[in-house]
Amino acid sequence: MVFAKLNPRAIALGLGSIFLLAACSLGGSSGGNTQSASDVTVWTAWGGNELKAFQDIVKPFEASTGIKVHITTNRDSTTGIANGIAAGTDLPDIAPATTDPIQLKDWISKGAIKPVETALGDQMSAYVANTYPGLVNPPAGTTGDDPYIGIIGGKHYYLMIKFQVKGLLWYNKHLYTGQAPKTFSDLLAIDPTQYGAQKLFCAAFSSGAASGWPASDQLDNIIMRQSGPKVYTDWIEGKQKWTSPEIKQGYQALLQEVSAAHVYGGTNYVLATDFQKAGEGLFKASGSYKAGCLFLIQATFQPGLTSFANLTAGVDFDFFPHPSMGNSQFDGNYNGFYDNYAMYNNTPAARQLMQWMVTKDSQQIWASSGVGMSSNKSTTYTDPVFKAAAQIVTTGTNMLVTAGDYMPTDMRNAYWQSLLNVTSNPGSLDSELSHLDQVQAAAYKSS
Amino acid sequence: MSAERVTTRGQTVVGAGVSALDTLGYRLQRLPLHLVIAIFIAIWIIPTVGMIINSFRGVADMGNSGWWTTLFPPHGFTLASYQQVLNVEGVAPSILYSVLITIPATVIQLTIATMGAYAFAWMKFPGRNIFFIVIVGLMVVPIQMTLIPVLQIFKAIGLNGTIYAVWLAHSGYGLPFEVFLLRNYLGGLPREIFESAEVDGAGHSVRFLRIAVPMTLPAIASLTIFVFLGIWNDLLVALTFLGVSVYRPFTVVIAQLTTSLGGGWQFLTAAAVLQMLLPLAVFIALQRYFVRGVTAGSVKG
Amino acid sequence: MEQIITAVVAVVAVPLILLGYIRLGEAIIERLPDTLQAWIRPYFWALPAIGFATVFMVYPLIRTVFISFYNSAGDKFVGWDNYVYFFTFPDTLTSLRNSLLWLVFFTFFSVLFGLIIAILLDRVRYESLAKIAIFLPVPISAVAASIIWKFMFDYQPPGTTQTGTLNAILGAFGRDPIAWLINLSTNNAALIFVGIWSATGFCMVIISASLKGISTEVLEAARMDGANEFQIVRLIVTPLLWPTITVVVTTELINALKTFDIVYVMTNGAYNTDVIATQMFRQLASAHYGRAAAVGVVLFIAIVPLLIVNIRRFQQQEEQR
Repeated sequence: MVFAKLNPRAIALGLGSIFLLAACSLGGSSGGNTQSASDVTVWTAWGGNELKAFQDIVKPFEASTGIKVHITTNRDSTTGIANGIAAGTDLPDIAPATTDPIQLKDWISKGAIKPVETALGDQMSAYVANTYPGLVNPPAGTTGDDPYIGIIGGKHYYLMIKFQVKGLLWYNKHLYTGQAPKTFSDLLAIDPTQYGAQKLFCAAFSSGAASGWPASDQLDNIIMRQSGPKVYTDWIEGKQKWTSPEIKQGYQALLQEVSAAHVYGGTNYVLATDFQKAGEGLFKASGSYKAGCLFLIQATFQPGLTSFANLTAGVDFDFFPHPSMGNSQFDGNYNGFYDNYAMYNNTPAARQLMQWMVTKDSQQIWASSGVGMSSNKSTTYTDPVFKAAAQIVTTGTNMLVTAGDYMPTDMRNAYWQSLLNVTSNPGSLDSELSHLDQVQAAAYKSS
Repeated sequence: MSAERVTTRGQTVVGAGVSALDTLGYRLQRLPLHLVIAIFIAIWIIPTVGMIINSFRGVADMGNSGWWTTLFPPHGFTLASYQQVLNVEGVAPSILYSVLITIPATVIQLTIATMGAYAFAWMKFPGRNIFFIVIVGLMVVPIQMTLIPVLQIFKAIGLNGTIYAVWLAHSGYGLPFEVFLLRNYLGGLPREIFESAEVDGAGHSVRFLRIAVPMTLPAIASLTIFVFLGIWNDLLVALTFLGVSVYRPFTVVIAQLTTSLGGGWQFLTAAAVLQMLLPLAVFIALQRYFVRGVTAGSVKG
Repeated sequence: MEQIITAVVAVVAVPLILLGYIRLGEAIIERLPDTLQAWIRPYFWALPAIGFATVFMVYPLIRTVFISFYNSAGDKFVGWDNYVYFFTFPDTLTSLRNSLLWLVFFTFFSVLFGLIIAILLDRVRYESLAKIAIFLPVPISAVAASIIWKFMFDYQPPGTTQTGTLNAILGAFGRDPIAWLINLSTNNAALIFVGIWSATGFCMVIISASLKGISTEVLEAARMDGANEFQIVRLIVTPLLWPTITVVVTTELINALKTFDIVYVMTNGAYNTDVIATQMFRQLASAHYGRAAAVGVVLFIAIVPLLIVNIRRFQQQEEQR
């Protein structure tokens, strides 16, 4: 009676599906991941020509060792790794480390991130000796830790791969024939129309979700030269008030650079335009002028941006170092921007790749790729721009990082936004700064 | 429907002045209707057309002139952006992998949601409203908040880093919205149909598969599109639950197109056009369910 | 090879398993005594949904409530500190105001446009084609949408060639260009419009699906009685669509509250365009889980009244059918 009511098709279907479920769960154990133990997984923020250059570095490594390197471009790798650490799931073997000093200490205390010393072994001292000192040694005159370059508890956690120098004064070589301005007031005294340019500066501060960072680079380079490394570092760490005279005079200098009198296109153009297009004004005629502007303040990656496409370094354009802000003791400060890698799984293959990435041979591939500077002192550049930038680093006394990148996210966001707001409305400077003080009071609380 | 009828009548009695005037009057009367529709379509389509046209232009052109200038000679069309996208390492397998993620995840969550919505709409059980409030309230929970605990669960059952984890995660995240929407449609079906089926001896599985599902087909079809799309365009869930797996869907792979400084953004226009194609095809394919009469007028409406 | 096996498993096995679950489950339940059947069956049908929701959402939600009372590292109970942080953060007031603007304008216009378009297109023969046009923005991700609208909002100095569509149109009328995303009086409206532009297709499709369920006889009968089209829409169609409109409004209200990606990719909250969700994301990105959780809990509590309205409506629906 009971079984007569059962539909045979239902039973067949049910059993069949249970069988398939079993088959599928068996497949699951090996389903997602076919990499073998000798492979290396790498997460990177790079894409386009940067990724191409990195792949060029990895290829000879794969060929000589037989190790397969799986590279995934992950723009949010810090969150991915933080989630992985919190949940205890697999981490990539190699990926950039967080730049937040508090988070970095947390990762170290959980044993998630392995020291560079472990990765490089007996090659560690050679690496430190071959790398620009600003990237691997604490600032001159201090010893011990420097979280801004990943030194915690006497150990290095960032493997310095490549870097850029920020705060350079780019110009059109066909247009500007004068001397390098030595000081900020020399710079402001230049009459752009004498050289056929409409305004002194070009600027463009838009960058999607990160809008405002190009302005922050300009301000960072002002403050580090006006007030020195102590104020600068205190400011990053939330110990220097935004309303303090040091920070305020920095903002005021920036406002001179982007004032209606000095900047091409007006403030709305500066704010609405993507930073990649900022260089156009150096070469594009504006009305009766041969160009919109004479100078653009930007980093060594400027030649790679679209506005400098099809132009030749040293022929069409060149740069001057950032002028002094009138305080000669701080003239040796310069703004470096590095790309780091860290090791999360201590496997032989991962160690081998870490060791390969800092050899002179692999570093020379960076140096020749034109996408950035090698962290290795002894590599050679054919590009005159990088050659000159390397000179700044060699003669500079103090490498300082980009301030906003190391502030808490709330603070960084408010910082970038304040720059956009004061550019749009210079009269709001005081209220913007006291707003930043309020944010500072909240953002650095470690609840 | 009625427009068709009127027009044919007007044409068959050509010469009869009154009818011709009627037709003209009818057409004039409907002119504002077409006009309003045309305005909506223009506003909705122009931005996308701008992007599609720009995907066939060089980056210098995009910066120097508006997309509409390409419509006049010299056009300056180029396939450079598309070549760039198709040259990205691993782009072809990534499209297959996106399909492998999207189709099963869509099927799983729609089936489960339809079953759940059926229970909520047609069965009384203790705690029904509480369960429903909780499930629907979960729509507001941002996925980012759930990643760590779900990762822990996947790790515990050994699924992390597999495609199955991605299927299951998408199914979980999509459910609240689907249950909510489908309960509305299933709950609107007339009681009599189910009662007469019960009298005829049809069990719940028959009532569900032979009555409830066919009668809500337009709703299920429209939901399918949005479920499909949500998974197809997803980056976060794939990045998180595939973890260090070497398999990557299209959304992950195209991140290689742009540099860390945002250079190469122009290639994203071509990537976006390519990414739209399959969802658009699904929409067009499912459109046959969006016409009157699929449910044969049986829905009390 | 392995991928092909996965494909076969995916496409064949998944529907079979679920169908098998229904068939086999019902076959077993039908064997049971009636009282037990009535008790077990609802859970059998709802269990997969409830199970999935529990694992993926309820458990994380409970955990969220817990960690909202803990510090970032999760090792120290901090009481209401994270909530105090949210409500006293200097930018919160602006975020709340903007989220309110999104709630009202984004929801109202996306549903209204969706409704109007669905009703209008129901009356023309090129409906399928026109629907594709309105649907077109839906499959476009936020990143791609930001590029599209960059072409629309682009700004060049006054007096030079405008590359943005909107400013070119303004220029054609001899007006100065507007920096749409920067100007404080246009930027929130511009962002919300981008949201409406991408959400209207959803509202249209869902409302249209419901519209197609209204029987032709009802409409024909009204026309016979001499009702004009406006009366039919107002007195017959709209009331019949109310349940669906409520569902769509609820969905869009929740989406408005969760609005994140459009604002994030286009301004990230600059020029007073911040919303609650971008604020929360910032906390998550810097691993301040406690603070992010507190914002999440606030969002959840904010929609409870909305859910109660919906439950009431479903109860009405059940009484009437």
